[in-house]
Amino acid sequence: MGKIIELKNVKKTYVIGEQQFNALDGVDLEIDQGEFVVILGPSGAGKSTLLNLLGGMDKVTSGSIFVGENEVSKYSDKELTRYRANEVGFIFQFYNIMPTLTVEENVNLIKDVTNTSKDAKEVLDSVGLLKHANKFPQELSGGEQQRVSIARAIMKNPKVLLCDEPTGALDSKTGVEVLKLLRTQADNDTTVIIVTHNSLIAEVADRVIRIKNGKVESNEKNEHPKDIDEVKW
Amino acid sequence: MLIKKMFRDICKNLSQFITIFLMVMIGVMAYSGIKAYMDGMSKTSETFYTENNLFDLNLIGANFTTDDLKDIKEIDNVKDAERKLYLTGVTDNNKTLLMSFIESNNICKFYVVDGEAFDANKSGVWLDEFYAKENDIHVGDEILVKYESMELHEKVLGLINVPDHLYDTRDESELYPDRKEFGFAYLSANEITRDYVIDLAKNSQDMAGLDESIIFNIITEDNYKDYIIFNYVMVDVDDVDKVNEVKEEIEDKIESAVAIVKAEDTASYVTYQGEIDEGKTYVGVFSGLFLFIAMLSVITTMTRVVKNQRTQIGTLKALGFSNAKILMHYIGYGFWISLVAAVVGLVLGYFGIGNVFIGLEMAFFEIPNGAPAMNSGSYAVAIGVVLAVVLISYITCRSILKENPAETLRNKIPNVKGKSLNITTKGLFKKLSFSSKWNIRDIVRNKMRTFMALAGVVGCCMLIVCALGMLDSMNFFVDLQFSTLYNFDYKLNLKEGLSSSDVKAITDKYGDATSQSLGIEIKNDNGEKEANNIFVTDAKDYVRFVNRKNKIIDKPEDNGVFVTQKLAETKGYKLGDTITWHIYGDDKYYTSQIIGFNKDPQNQNVTMTRAYLESLGIEYKPNAIYTNMNLSETKEIKNIETIQDIESLKEGMTGMLSMMKTMLVLIIGIAVLLGAIIIYNLGILSYTEKQYQFATLKVLGFKDSQIKNIFVKQNNWIAILSIIIGLPLGFYLTDWLFKTAIEEHYDFGASITVQTYIIAAIGTFVVSYLVSKFLARKIKNIDMVTSLKANE
Repeated sequence: MGKIIELKNVKKTYVIGEQQFNALDGVDLEIDQGEFVVILGPSGAGKSTLLNLLGGMDKVTSGSIFVGENEVSKYSDKELTRYRANEVGFIFQFYNIMPTLTVEENVNLIKDVTNTSKDAKEVLDSVGLLKHANKFPQELSGGEQQRVSIARAIMKNPKVLLCDEPTGALDSKTGVEVLKLLRTQADNDTTVIIVTHNSLIAEVADRVIRIKNGKVESNEKNEHPKDIDEVKW
Repeated sequence: MLIKKMFRDICKNLSQFITIFLMVMIGVMAYSGIKAYMDGMSKTSETFYTENNLFDLNLIGANFTTDDLKDIKEIDNVKDAERKLYLTGVTDNNKTLLMSFIESNNICKFYVVDGEAFDANKSGVWLDEFYAKENDIHVGDEILVKYESMELHEKVLGLINVPDHLYDTRDESELYPDRKEFGFAYLSANEITRDYVIDLAKNSQDMAGLDESIIFNIITEDNYKDYIIFNYVMVDVDDVDKVNEVKEEIEDKIESAVAIVKAEDTASYVTYQGEIDEGKTYVGVFSGLFLFIAMLSVITTMTRVVKNQRTQIGTLKALGFSNAKILMHYIGYGFWISLVAAVVGLVLGYFGIGNVFIGLEMAFFEIPNGAPAMNSGSYAVAIGVVLAVVLISYITCRSILKENPAETLRNKIPNVKGKSLNITTKGLFKKLSFSSKWNIRDIVRNKMRTFMALAGVVGCCMLIVCALGMLDSMNFFVDLQFSTLYNFDYKLNLKEGLSSSDVKAITDKYGDATSQSLGIEIKNDNGEKEANNIFVTDAKDYVRFVNRKNKIIDKPEDNGVFVTQKLAETKGYKLGDTITWHIYGDDKYYTSQIIGFNKDPQNQNVTMTRAYLESLGIEYKPNAIYTNMNLSETKEIKNIETIQDIESLKEGMTGMLSMMKTMLVLIIGIAVLLGAIIIYNLGILSYTEKQYQFATLKVLGFKDSQIKNIFVKQNNWIAILSIIIGLPLGFYLTDWLFKTAIEEHYDFGASITVQTYIIAAIGTFVVSYLVSKFLARKIKNIDMVTSLKANE
């Protein structure tokens, strides 16, 4: 497995009034392709900032981010848009699916931004939602809505799946279902990065990165990840 | 502390509160201003008519003697009566002056603008103030007026307004008073010369055949005033309800009275009253529409302001503030702003619009002390507007307060009811693009917002169509009247009482296309009589007729009469019906069959041919000649009272149209402004609600331009739909305005050109598109991280 993500001395500083706040303070990191990575840390540690930088939603103050061969941190706004459209998939805590589009339409939305998308029906089938294809999000449970979000993310066949607290709004049982789905993506060679403050999830990861005060506290490979069915919170 | 918060919030959202302020102010100003102007028109004339004692009845006859006057005064309920001799004189510089020679001035009393009050013993002239102004004549100047052999050199003693001379035109074909060329003058009856009286006597039946020297002996320097012929008597009735009774009694008792006209049937009164009636319809329509659109924009802005405070409302609630306290706090925002704006609107309406419009009218109608009048209706509207703003703040705030504080602290996620959108997942809808589906569903979900946007833009489109359409219709009318119906270059109005040889001399020279206007009374089945006139045509092709569709039709056959379309509709005349009528001054009634209808935009009357008139045994005495000869250099023709040039008639109309244009530009300007504000406000509301969805789309890799298109698409749809609805409604509004607001004797309808529709459609769309584009610029600045975080 080759390296897919590399961060070199990444800093992100927010200026609020006259105060400066270093959300990330010199992060160095490497992640391999197809890894199931969990980034842990308390609130305000900088995990979401890291995810946003990786997803091309925000720009570094200094340092470099490489995804594959490309230095994403040097991308222009236009290139970032293309990057988000083709190379990364996002999964949010509160799903962020379009309430006025049906399940299938939400997934097909991706066709408007990329030519390399998969078949929506197949994707929906893979996440177990084919029977709900014509329903509106409001008619689905939280877990099902998160699966729509996952379907939408994998629809574009991304290199990396970025998940911000994907189980944060779900109960334990539904959360496990979602984690299983994400694990499947990693098994299919898509790098999955999950940001969470739930340390139990770390037990199922291939790699666990702990962040504190904007720095990487630890970056450990988990040689024996637990089976997801064994996890409970 | 909350008051501090309110002031700071207002400062922070200054542009929104300025919008609310301006909209309330404009709405109240438009309504109260136009109302103050119309009420002012009514009040000004009422005051003038009362204080200056406008006559109740005007008697027209060949000669009213002192005995006639005495008899009239003795009739029950007659308070007073005054004779006058009414002549059309010409000045040395060829201007026309309507001269009234009077013995006293207790009825239709002068309002003296400059100079001295009427005194029968004073030698001089009291002159029309507007005419004097136009011709730079001042008190103390001398003027020369001629009428046949009478030549009067008179010193101007006063400049006056008189209650029966608010509006004077040479004849019905002239729509706009030409004060420079045409005015009125009052003189004491003592100013009439002996020569004129003798001249008149020579031609009278009583002294016909008498030797001139005998006439000179009969009419001496001492007694010639006893021989003055007075052709009018003004009657003042002491009880308004008795006017009809008095009229009937005079008809019975006073043989000299050929026609009796009530004050409210005179041209001056009718035209002024028509302007008020017309204006009253405008008050309802234009100011009502302005107010409606202004309120829509206030409601949308206020909703936006309160919705933007959502998380703060949640915070206040979480802090333990009672719902009532929070409600009062947010109601305060709209209340104080709209209260101040309403008061400013009332003041500006009265002193601004009211004064300006009254000023415009007072330049048209000769009436003193024109001032706007404020009444309780305007105060009620102002209070209503403030209450509406308060109510909107209350409703919006309450709906947020109903949620629990935890929910309120989060941004609103649109609530989507799957069932209501099910139809959009089937059939044709399936094939639509993502952005179309999105927008259709957004419209379905936000029916109220869509309706308000639609109503606002429809209103604007209607106002633009109506404003331009009124101009089109007036232009169409000018063209119909002066190019289609009037097919001549000059109309020569003959003097009264010409012999047939005099007439022949004129027709030999200028052609024999002639017509006669006859004052008649038409008796209906109930025996009630109504004044009208017959146009007897022998004008060949110089005066033409059109049908309802404005297509030229042949003149009536020689076996009956044409009745104008509007008159027929009002009276319920049908083809083949008969009308019974008599000529003023002759009691003999005739019954004529209606053999056709013609449309006349200016007069609702009856038309017959000369041959038909003569077949009834009535002598044809033309009083107008039509010619295409070039008379541009001709100033005076013997036996011709006035020469009317069709081009100058048209110019008169152009003057009126240019005044109209100024008002229309104002209407269009306000319409566009209000429309733009509504679209902007609703656009902002819609944008705020969808911001997090747009942020998500951005994260998914959508380009800014793609998201902008999604956003602009909905407003474009609304604009197109509004145009489709607004264009025909604009036509109907214009047509309705013309049909109901305009005076009874006019027959106008809307005649709107394709260009107007195109301008209105493009104008409306461009305004909507530009505002949407302006709003869409915000999409570029959506910060994905912040937008998505805010939602958590």
